[in-house]
Amino acid sequence: MRQTIFLAGNLGRDPELRYTPNGTAMSRLSVATNEKWSGQDGQLQERTIWWRVSVWGKQAENVSQYLKKGSQVFIEGRMDSDPETGGPRLWKGSDGSDRASYEIIARVVKFTGQRGGGASFEPSDKDIPPEAFF
Amino acid sequence: MYHKVVLVGNLGRDPEMRYMQDGTPVTNFSIATNEKWTGQDGEQKERTVWWRVSVWRKQAEACNQYLNSGSQVLIEGRIRPDPETGGPKVFTRNDGTSGASYEVTAQVVRFLGGRGDASAAGPGTPRDEDVPPEASIEEDAIPF
Repeated sequence: MRQTIFLAGNLGRDPELRYTPNGTAMSRLSVATNEKWSGQDGQLQERTIWWRVSVWGKQAENVSQYLKKGSQVFIEGRMDSDPETGGPRLWKGSDGSDRASYEIIARVVKFTGQRGGGASFEPSDKDIPPEAFF
Repeated sequence: MYHKVVLVGNLGRDPEMRYMQDGTPVTNFSIATNEKWTGQDGEQKERTVWWRVSVWRKQAEACNQYLNSGSQVLIEGRIRPDPETGGPKVFTRNDGTSGASYEVTAQVVRFLGGRGDASAAGPGTPRDEDVPPEASIEEDAIPF
């Protein structure tokens, strides 16, 4: 009974690195996956999905050091839902309307971009707090 | 560039099949993925995520025929976002509160059996060509 999400996309902005009160590093990434296909009318269609990805532990520091806006990245992770509803968490936009996003907790991050080569970081599970990863 | 979702879970209720105006069948159902882990306090924790899955064409008919509430399935598919925001679509319920859900268009469905039923015998091996590339767009027209 599990769920896994795979993404290959580009960062929409620079990573944001933070530390939890007990010193664990956490980076937030905003990743866009852009997909194109030809519709029945032969016209090119395009769709972008935005993913809010959190990366924990040593990997979080690597991410904030090596990735920046525009970097290409591969992520394997799981959807972090609202525990109350089992669906996306709702939050208020600056205009007061309800918004929702795809929040992903990364298990694997690979740097696939041209800038700086193809390093990859597969953290051990202990980098991720038990509450964040299951 | 690319994304994929792989889910193993159980149906929360029986599937519902409908036909598009051109006769294409589409089946919708919700599945729960359930994960358990031990918290730092040593307590067993559990989280359920709900996914709304749409299945198209031949697969839709197979799902409608062989799956029911409680059946276990493996789904490989793609998230269908709100095209305006690139995030989950936010809807308003009858009572005025907002909600959002994870909507998935299935590319592959496998029947893994169920809680004490015979659905494991179903032909759960659809092909990618059963899913129209524009499936996610058409499906927005379906009145849920």
